[in-house]
Amino acid sequence: MNSKTIRVLSVLLALILLVAFVPGCAKKTDTGTGTSDGTTPPKSTVKAAMVTDVGGLGDKSFNDGAYSGLQRAEKELGVEIKVLESKEITDYESNIDQLATAGFTPIFAVGFLMTDTVSKMATAFPDTQFGGVDEFFDPVPANVVGLNFKEEEGSYLAGVVAGLATKDSFDSKLNADNVIGFVGGMDIPLIQKFEAGFIAGAKSVNPDVKVISLYAGNFTDQAKGKELGYSLIEQKADVIYAAAGQVGLGTVEACKDKGALFIGVDVDQYETVANSGDVMLTSMIKRVDNAVFETIKAVVDGSFPGGTIKVFGLAEEGVGLAPFHDFESKVPQAIKDAVEKARTDIIAGTITVPTAP
Amino acid sequence: MLADIITPDLFASALRMATPLALAAIGGTICERSGVVNIALEGIMLCGAFAGVAVTLAVGNAWVGVLAAIAAGVAIAAIHAFTSINLRSDQVVSGTAINILALGLTGFLMEILYGHPGTTEAVETIKPIFRFASERGGGGFLAEVWHWVNTILFSHTPIVYMAIIIAIAMQWAMYNTRWGLHLRALGEHPRAVDTVGVSVLRGRWVAVLISGALAGLAGANLTLEQVGSFTENMTNGRGFIALAANIFGRWTPVGSYGASLLFGFADALQIKLQIFRGEINIPPQFFLMLPYILTVIVLAGVVGRSVGPAAVGKPYEKG
Repeated sequence: MNSKTIRVLSVLLALILLVAFVPGCAKKTDTGTGTSDGTTPPKSTVKAAMVTDVGGLGDKSFNDGAYSGLQRAEKELGVEIKVLESKEITDYESNIDQLATAGFTPIFAVGFLMTDTVSKMATAFPDTQFGGVDEFFDPVPANVVGLNFKEEEGSYLAGVVAGLATKDSFDSKLNADNVIGFVGGMDIPLIQKFEAGFIAGAKSVNPDVKVISLYAGNFTDQAKGKELGYSLIEQKADVIYAAAGQVGLGTVEACKDKGALFIGVDVDQYETVANSGDVMLTSMIKRVDNAVFETIKAVVDGSFPGGTIKVFGLAEEGVGLAPFHDFESKVPQAIKDAVEKARTDIIAGTITVPTAP
Repeated sequence: MLADIITPDLFASALRMATPLALAAIGGTICERSGVVNIALEGIMLCGAFAGVAVTLAVGNAWVGVLAAIAAGVAIAAIHAFTSINLRSDQVVSGTAINILALGLTGFLMEILYGHPGTTEAVETIKPIFRFASERGGGGFLAEVWHWVNTILFSHTPIVYMAIIIAIAMQWAMYNTRWGLHLRALGEHPRAVDTVGVSVLRGRWVAVLISGALAGLAGANLTLEQVGSFTENMTNGRGFIALAANIFGRWTPVGSYGASLLFGFADALQIKLQIFRGEINIPPQFFLMLPYILTVIVLAGVVGRSVGPAAVGKPYEKG
C-alpha cells in the first residue's frame, strides 16, 4: 500500500469512528406537539428539559421515571421537552450548560451525583430554574428546588413484607431460616436510606430477623449483582431487596436461579423486568414522575417553589409499594394488614423511620 | 464466622467471575505475543456482549448468540488489526478509540433496535451443563464433600469450562506448534520471522483476530450465561483487569488464567467479607477496593518483574 492510499484510508477510518461515536452521545430530542389521540394539546411557552444520570434512559428506574413525568407534561400541559443523556460524570456540566444556554427552564438534573453541578450552574444561570431529583442543597439557591423522597418510608413497608414473608411459607422459595438480604449500589447516604428503612421495617415485625446488606460499588454491573444474590442466598436469605439500579437485575437472575423472592425498587419492576413474575414479590416505588410533573405544572402556573426542598413521602404518595401481582392470592392477609398498619402509622407520625443504618 | 466466608460458593464464584477476565486475558496474551498491544479488549468484550444478546433476542437461540458474539469480537478486532498493523498507527491510540467506539456504538444500536438505551430485554440464559442434586444421600461427611465438589466443579455454565480448556490448549499450542513458535517470534523479533519467509502482517492479523474472538466470547459469558441482558458499559473495566492479568500471568495463557482466577477470587472474597460488615464495622468501600489494590500491587511489580515481548507495540515495516 502506498502512503497516499494509507492517508486516505486513515481519514476515512477517522470519519467512520466520528460518525459512529457522535450518535452514541447524542441527545434525545422530542419536540412533537401532537398527541396520539389526535387532540391538540394546550400550548405553553415553557421549555422543560432533563439531564439523566449515567444510567441514562432505559434504566427502567428513576431516569425513565423522570422522563415519563416530562412526557406527561408535554401531553397535558403542552410544554416543549428535551432530554440530554450523561454517558460520563463529566457530561453533567456540559449537558446542563447546553440546555440552559438554549433557554430551557426548568431543567431537571436527575440523580444525587449531580448535586454539586446543579449548585454551580444555578449561580452561572440565575434566570434558569432547576429541579434536582434526589439532590439536597443547604442553603437552597433561589432558582433551585430539591425534589427529595422519603425512600426510607417506602423501604420500611418493603421491610415489613420481607420480615413477615421470611417467617411464612406461602411460597416454596421461602425457607425456614430467619434471614433476608439487601443489595445496595453504592454506599452513599441515599442508598443507606433504603437500607435503614428496610431493616427497621423488617425488625418491627420480626425482631430476630437477620438482615445481610451487601454493596456492589456501582449501579451498572449486573454480573456483580448476581454474585451478590448468590452469596445472600447461600447465607439462607429468602427475600432480597435491591436498591442498586441495574445491578439489581443481576440479583433477580440469582433469585430465579437459586430460588428466592425479590423486592424491586423505584418502579414496579414486575412490569419492567421480563420473566420475573415468579420471584417478584413486590416493588418499592418512587414516584419521580409525579414530582417532575408537579414541578413543571408549578412553573406553568407561575408558582415555581424555588429555594425549597420538596419532600415526597408516603403521605404525599411520593413513595409506596407496588401490587403483589402473581403473589396477590398467596400473600396472607396478615402481611397486607401489617403493611397497611405501618403505612397509617408512618403517615400519622407514630413511627419515625431512620435514614441511616 | 470463617465457615461463612470459606464456603463452596466462594470458590465457585471465583471461577465464574474469573471466566470473562481469563478469556479476555488469554486473548490479550496471544495478541501481545504477536507484537500488538490490545487495550481494546474492554470495547471488544462490550461489543461481544451486545451482539450476543441482540442476536439471541432476534433468533431465540443463545448458542447462535454466542457465535454472533465471537463474530462481533472478530469484526471489531479487525479494525484494530487494520489500523495498528496495516496503517502502523499507535496501537494504544487505536485501542482507546475502539473502547470509546464500542461504548457509543452499542448505545446507538440499542437506540435503533429497541428504541431506548440503557438495558435490553432479558433472554433465557444458558444453563449449567450438569444439574446434580446438591444434597446427596444420608448426610454426614461424604454428603458434605459431595456438596463442595458439586458446587465448585459441577455447577458451571459451558463457557466457564471452555475457558479452562482454551487456556490449556493455547498454552500447548504456543509452545508445541509451528504456529506458536512463529507467534512468539513475531513479538520478539519480527524481522527474523520475515527473513524465513513467514508473513509478519498475516501472523499478526491472525493473532489480533483470535484475541477478538476470545474477548467476544468473554462478552457472551457475561450476558448470555451470567445475567441474560445487556446494559450499557456493563463490562465495567473487566477488559483492563484482563490486561493486568495477562501481564501478571507473564504473557502465557495458563498464567493469564491463573491470574484471572486470583482476581476473581479477590472479588468473590470481598463479597463474602461484606457479610460481616455489621460486626467488624469496616466500610464496604474497603472491600470493594480489594481486587483493584491487588491489580495495582501486581502491576507495580511486587510479584516479580515481568518482561513483555521485545517488539510489542512496535509496528512492523517491511524492508
